[in-house]
Amino acid sequence: MQIDDGKTTDALQMKILLAALPKESATDPTGQQLAQLINRIANKKVPVNSFSRIWTLGSLQAKVTLGYFAYWLRSRFADADERQRLRSEAHLAAALQLFGTMGYMRGAVMKIGQLLANLPEVVPEEFAEVLSALHFEAPPMHFALVREVFLDEFGREPEEVFAFFDRQAFAAASLGQVHRARLKSGEEVAVKIQYPGIARTIKADLRNLRLLLQPLCLTEDWQNTLDKLADIERMLLMETDYDQEASFGKQARVLFTDADRVVVPRVYDEYSTKRVLTTEYLRGCHLDDFLAGNPSQEERDHFTTLLTVATFRLYYRLHWFLADPHPGNFIFMEDGRLGMIDFGCTRAMTDEEWLLICKLERANLERDEACLNRVIAKACLFDDPEEMEPERLEILRSGLNWNMEPWLKDGLFDFGEREFFMRGIESFMEMTRKRYTRGSPLYLWSNRFIFGGRAVCYRLKGRCEFRKIHQQESAACLHPAPEQ
Amino acid sequence: MRISEQAKQENRARILEKGAELFIAKGYEECTTRDIATAAGLAAGTLFNYFPSKETLAMTMVSEAFKMGREDFMRRRTGEEDLPEDLFLFIASGLRRLRPLRPFIGPVLERSLSPFPRKTVCPEGEAARQEHLDAVQEIIASHGFTQAPDYVAVTMYWSLYLGILAFWANDDSPNQEATQALVDYSIRMFVQVISGTGGVTGEANAD
Ligand SMILES: Nc1ncnc2c1ncn2[C@@H]1O[C@H](COP(=O)(O)OP(=O)(O)O)[C@@H](O)[C@H]1O
Repeated sequence: MQIDDGKTTDALQMKILLAALPKESATDPTGQQLAQLINRIANKKVPVNSFSRIWTLGSLQAKVTLGYFAYWLRSRFADADERQRLRSEAHLAAALQLFGTMGYMRGAVMKIGQLLANLPEVVPEEFAEVLSALHFEAPPMHFALVREVFLDEFGREPEEVFAFFDRQAFAAASLGQVHRARLKSGEEVAVKIQYPGIARTIKADLRNLRLLLQPLCLTEDWQNTLDKLADIERMLLMETDYDQEASFGKQARVLFTDADRVVVPRVYDEYSTKRVLTTEYLRGCHLDDFLAGNPSQEERDHFTTLLTVATFRLYYRLHWFLADPHPGNFIFMEDGRLGMIDFGCTRAMTDEEWLLICKLERANLERDEACLNRVIAKACLFDDPEEMEPERLEILRSGLNWNMEPWLKDGLFDFGEREFFMRGIESFMEMTRKRYTRGSPLYLWSNRFIFGGRAVCYRLKGRCEFRKIHQQESAACLHPAPEQ
Repeated sequence: MRISEQAKQENRARILEKGAELFIAKGYEECTTRDIATAAGLAAGTLFNYFPSKETLAMTMVSEAFKMGREDFMRRRTGEEDLPEDLFLFIASGLRRLRPLRPFIGPVLERSLSPFPRKTVCPEGEAARQEHLDAVQEIIASHGFTQAPDYVAVTMYWSLYLGILAFWANDDSPNQEATQALVDYSIRMFVQVISGTGGVTGEANAD
């Protein structure tokens, strides 16, 4: 969706906006009210903060995004009494306004808006693309700013800390940027540097957003929504702490041997702080460049296999979801190894969550219908499958079946098959449309993990012996599934 | 008995050093020139031979910090900086030298650098302002501007800079990182205005 705001008049904009926004059939069938609310907020010209790039609420795309966000939130208090609803409207407007100032969310927000705006006709490629865009975006830093960060973090200039430091960043990171450097002992490293103050701003913004959203309450699922928002907040904040990321990286690194052909870069503690993360530089390219080189099927399968091994290993050994498996986090190395970077968005499961997931997995593999329904009910926060609408259960089961399809198939599984990927997305969207999304916050991340990972494999058009890999990796599992 | 030039320099340096220590320990307002003279091992009257007032003493600390900041800037400058980066390096180098004085310097800066008309102008403050602005003009001139910025641009710069100082004096974020972001943002804005373009955003930096 590409719309040039400069050339459209207000009236025309309103028309396009009305057409693009979702309609609440009962209270706002034409979408007028929603469009007006959005326009009112957008025209207030809230100043975006200094961390934004070019995100303005006035753009049509931003309005459509806000509109969907508002629509989604509103649907949560549609049944409230009049007084509560008015109060909620006020909070809603304030929350949207704040959201609009969070310029470092621009990329994510635009992409989600695009997805929402095209919801009925979304194609898998778009879906995959949106998943990879859920990032913060910090403004770029010039070298003088990087130097100040170094003086504060290490008391020395980058060129004193390292034998060589490239003044030009070679990659953007969500909260900063990444520079190449060489240690005095000779190792090539990647140095990720955080934009000063961005973590605090994000923390403050998210806290305020939560405070604004909290009183919106009402439907019985609202508490669940808040729980999810809290989980999202926690995960986003984790990304701001490079110490935490370093610690995840170290735990992951020791799980792989040379024979695995999977590398997690070494963390150099001496050159790492909360705001600077120095890791071994991995030579290679990302998915797009890899694909541009027209790799053979054999190479595609090779990396699909490594990806599967790597994610299963983290899953069974550490009980982790790599909650952000987007293509930028994988490096296709020249020597055929797979590099895994960025553990900033890692969701570690609690023991309770892990036990439930093991039960689910086993019920599925053993095709124990009754047990499966019970576990699904529990994961969706029902006491008993009987309490669930039959349709809800059905839709959730079909989603789960799609998840488990590769686990049940012997031999090569082809993740490049379009029909397969499409079915997964359809079932996910069906669940979202019907609002059967209540559930433990964990499933936000497991969904992202599964869709993100499969989107990468889909674009790779890769195949692997999925079931065999699963059997190998789960056999090495530290905590076997409990007896029932 | 006349004391040697060297002894004078030593006294002056000791007063500045003890003054800074005491300002930090007791607070600027609470600290008297007598306290400082005593700490420096001098008679109260002798101190006035070096610094006619407490304000002059404090502003001299600021001027010296600025001067060291300018020297750091000249040394650190690589010659590859574009205008926003150059200005950033200049301001950041100054703030870093000023950092030890941060616990007490807010009110001093407010009084001595105030752009409002005052009965008694602090000459050290006036000199510090002029030196800072001269340096800024030089930096701007070195980036291909054929004319010096006019009084509007200079006033605008100075207002931004005072705003930065005020914010910095109160900034409780670690290492005043919030100020760093403010400096970055303010300079981009200033350069955009004097360049008459919307294009100087450094967007291309990390691509
Ligand atoms: N150790 C490394 N070796 C090679 N490239 C790296 C390394 N670390 C980061 N990069 C590059 O920098 C980009 C951003 O790093 P990443 O850790 O993913 O940042 P973010 O904080 O946004 O998650 C990566 O996509 C990759 O291109």
